[in-house]
Amino acid sequence: MSQAGSKKGAVSKLNKNAAINSLIVFVVLLLAWVAGFASRLFAVIRFESIIHEFDPWFNYRATAYMVKHGFYNFLNWFDERAWYPLGRIVGGTVYPGLMLTSGSIHWILHLLHINVHIRDICVFLAPIFSGLTAISTYLLTRELWSSGAGLFAACFIAIVPGYISRSVAGSYDNEGIAIFALQFTYFLWIKSVKTGSVFWAVSAAVSYFYMVSAWGGYVFIINLIPLHVFVLLLMGRYSNRLFTSYTTFYILGLIMSMQIPFVGFQPIRTSEHMAAAGVFALLFAVAVLKYLQSMMSKSEFKSLVIWGGLVSAGLVFATVVGLTYAGYIAPWSGRFYSLWDTGYAKIHIPIIASVSEHQPTTWFSFFFDLHVLIPTFPAGLWYCIKHVNDERVFVILYALSAVYFAGVMVRLMLTLTPVVCMLSGVAFSVILEMYLREEDSTPAIENEEEESSQNPKRLYDKAGKVPKIIKHESKEQDAIGQNIRSIAAVVFVLLLMLFAVHCTWVTSNAYSSPSIVLASYGSDGTRQILDDFREAYFWLSQNTADDARVMSWWDYGYQIAGMANRTTLVDNNTWNNSHIALVGKAMSSNESAAYEIMTALDVDYVLVIFGGVIGYSGDDINKFLWMVRIAEGEHPKDIRESDYFTEQGEFRVDAEGSPTLLNCLMYKLSYYRFGDLRLDYRSPSGFDRTRNAVIGNKDINLTYLEEAYTSEHWLVRIYRVKKPDEFNRPRIPVANRVIKSSSFVSKKSTKRKKGTIKNKPVIVKGKRPAVKLQ
Amino acid sequence: MKLLTFSIFLLMPLIIYNVEGQGKKQGSTLADRVQQLTDLSSKKSVLRFNANKFKDYVKTAPRNYSIVVMFTALASQRQCAVCRQASDEYTLVANSYRYSPAYSNKLFFAMVDFDEGSEVFQMMKLNTAPIFMHFPAKGKPKAADTMDIQRVGFGAEAIARFISERTDISIRIIRAPNYSGTLSLTLLFAFVGGFLYLRRNNLEFLYNKTMWGVWALFFTLAMTSGQMWNHIRGPPFMHRNQNGQTSYIHGSSQGQFVVETYIVMALNGAVVVGMILMAEAAKGKGDPKKRKIFAILGLVLISVFFSLLLSVFRTKTHGYPYSFLFK
Repeated sequence: MSQAGSKKGAVSKLNKNAAINSLIVFVVLLLAWVAGFASRLFAVIRFESIIHEFDPWFNYRATAYMVKHGFYNFLNWFDERAWYPLGRIVGGTVYPGLMLTSGSIHWILHLLHINVHIRDICVFLAPIFSGLTAISTYLLTRELWSSGAGLFAACFIAIVPGYISRSVAGSYDNEGIAIFALQFTYFLWIKSVKTGSVFWAVSAAVSYFYMVSAWGGYVFIINLIPLHVFVLLLMGRYSNRLFTSYTTFYILGLIMSMQIPFVGFQPIRTSEHMAAAGVFALLFAVAVLKYLQSMMSKSEFKSLVIWGGLVSAGLVFATVVGLTYAGYIAPWSGRFYSLWDTGYAKIHIPIIASVSEHQPTTWFSFFFDLHVLIPTFPAGLWYCIKHVNDERVFVILYALSAVYFAGVMVRLMLTLTPVVCMLSGVAFSVILEMYLREEDSTPAIENEEEESSQNPKRLYDKAGKVPKIIKHESKEQDAIGQNIRSIAAVVFVLLLMLFAVHCTWVTSNAYSSPSIVLASYGSDGTRQILDDFREAYFWLSQNTADDARVMSWWDYGYQIAGMANRTTLVDNNTWNNSHIALVGKAMSSNESAAYEIMTALDVDYVLVIFGGVIGYSGDDINKFLWMVRIAEGEHPKDIRESDYFTEQGEFRVDAEGSPTLLNCLMYKLSYYRFGDLRLDYRSPSGFDRTRNAVIGNKDINLTYLEEAYTSEHWLVRIYRVKKPDEFNRPRIPVANRVIKSSSFVSKKSTKRKKGTIKNKPVIVKGKRPAVKLQ
Repeated sequence: MKLLTFSIFLLMPLIIYNVEGQGKKQGSTLADRVQQLTDLSSKKSVLRFNANKFKDYVKTAPRNYSIVVMFTALASQRQCAVCRQASDEYTLVANSYRYSPAYSNKLFFAMVDFDEGSEVFQMMKLNTAPIFMHFPAKGKPKAADTMDIQRVGFGAEAIARFISERTDISIRIIRAPNYSGTLSLTLLFAFVGGFLYLRRNNLEFLYNKTMWGVWALFFTLAMTSGQMWNHIRGPPFMHRNQNGQTSYIHGSSQGQFVVETYIVMALNGAVVVGMILMAEAAKGKGDPKKRKIFAILGLVLISVFFSLLLSVFRTKTHGYPYSFLFK
């Protein structure tokens, strides 16, 4: 009886513990979600609910098209408004996951009679998904280490700037949902490796399918998972669980990924995917060897397995290389190749090198984006290596490869961020687990939402670990002592607080500008909104013919298409380098040469971004050298970069600038009429605030173009290209036209009998030149 | 008039000297000179000119060939490491041209070493090396005929592009395939393989987690401190301004010096070591006193070095409001 009673008591205690645990987990994750969502709203609160930047405008436009015309029409969409005169097959060249996600949310909400505009769904999609990312990060870290580490990781990733940079409200881009898909796929993969169950492997494949449909970064998954398997094989950790999960995942993932039109046959035709196939074959080889082992004597098999594995690895590698040479498999594409050979893009593909996201990463940006996580995550890595097991091998490989890629390309900081959060979570939880054993040592500092979400974590750690710890308690306490424990706790809380305020500061200052609406701050702190972009695009949409073709540099292609709904020549989907080079050539040639190109391309309007009036540094003159470089890559005879520099090799726009620069189309269009403008009393007229120089060519006359519109702060300038009959001769109304009657009559008549000589030479009396003596 | 005579008198030796030079040269007509150059260049793709030859072949007026000259200082006492690299690249271009279908007697490659023709350097008013100059067939070299190696570098491709810009002769660079990478990789594999073979009876070290852990930590620290940026961009080691003060930290957030990355790497590393020390102290089984010291040491390492890191970060960010321990 008493036995039963104590058992019951133990069970109820256990239940109570479990209940408290899950309540804490739930509350922390909810708070992480809320904090993550709230810290992404700076842009919406400061400006309004708008789509940001460049790529999101295309995604938004495609989503709106899909919602309006239906999914199948979207898949078959041929966009004749982009890449004039080529057009673009949108359905086949886009990752549809993002549009499908927001489209289905829209559909469900409308089914429930909640009428939300598709734009609002697009704006808030990324912040909502950040919560899901936090949850999947929690799940993944829990599988790898412990629940406490998972909660830390979830809180980190909810507010870390490295992830916020791609997922603020309004930044409607693939990465926003892809990081969730990435983490969730990894979670399911780890789960399937741990259990060896087909169910989890299938789930991982489905999640992978979602990732493929969402982002080109899926290549990271399909290389990392095979790498995991391969390293496990090398470590002699082959198991039937591994065999089941990888074979299931690979086959299903392969077939499903090929259903995405943009991906198509790439998974079996390109080098990026070959590692997965190779490991698939290798796994079978190892499995066969293992089977043989069971039938042969024990002594030979160890070597047989090792050598057999090595030989089959070599065979697979040789096959892939052979097929690549034979042309069945496409070699690495430039973008991926530049990750290995770091000097490759700079020499061969200027268009890739020109994008600021593709630059290597300074330590500053690592610290800026990850703060305290940067110096702490190696400690987590250390503990994962020290206590290695099947799934921790995965996170080690994930960290090492991601940190390499992030070093090569700023953009890939995004893939590094989740693993850094996870490993830092591990490090913090390892230490705090041991230093926060006493109930009263819990610091009662609650400053912010973040802190409040971290406090329960600690409580949780304690609650979870108390029964285990009690055994060592007596020894431990002697060793370190209460005081040091409390100091350590305070220091760590301070570190975490610093992290939280840093994240907020960075998000607010660096990552929350929509970049289509600019804000400038006066000396008294008042904020002035510069809405020139939308103003100009709206002008375009209202005042030009519906089929007007607008030429601009490719950065603005998506915005023109999205906001002004006009045909563009090139846009941010930089698939055709030679077309971009042609536009670059037009911009960097003189007016008459540019006119030839523009008539050949049927250009009606030219749009340039000019920041000289307000000091906006991202304008076209600052980007101009890239236009020249890209044009030079395709037309080396006509455009030479060196012509745009001064003798000293400087790029300057003032009177000392090179004459080629001062007469090229981009210069003229940017500075047309600017020479007459005096911005304030102190500076002379024609003073460019962005480059701090007085422009070199002040009286610019345009022959082939005319100014059509200039926005309030001169940020956007639009010019109309004249038709051939318009330039060089002033148009005279028909009534005023007089046909000159020639007074000369060649016919002999009675009136004029005298003959005349045409072009009769005239004698000019010479003068004696003044004698100059030296 | 008197003055004129005087000056003529003064100039006399010079003129006579010149006439002598002319006399020698007048025998060599344009066709002869082209013939000589062709013969020379068939032996050696880059012609070595001293002052006389430079005058003969480059400075003499009627020419129907272009000539590219590298002014350099290859002698070892000049200690010009760049010249050597540039010379290699230049020879590569010349050789590629020599064996290309575009080879003709319209373009020759030559070089002038400072120690063989310092007069040439004075004549051309050059005081740096290496310099690549193109002497066009007609007229004098313009500003654009000097290659801007500051901007385009002196890689063989850049030289070839410079030549094709100036002369419309395009040279396709044929580099001997670079086996050094492959070779070193093979050597590495052989070394590792041999090592494993020698140690085949005792492969325990492969299972040494500490070794792997140290490697992994070193790699991540190298990457997060921006060594890859250094590798790609090649920044200066440190900066020395006019007053002779050296600065180790780049002022803007866009750049970094090599020293700076080492400092950051050390700071990051110290924090990591602090974290590990603290954890080991708390769970270790050793001497309690030692563990206590370790715990304190770890805590100090973390707080001090993280504060240092934060203050370095602050100097590079304008208006960053937060700091810890140090300003």
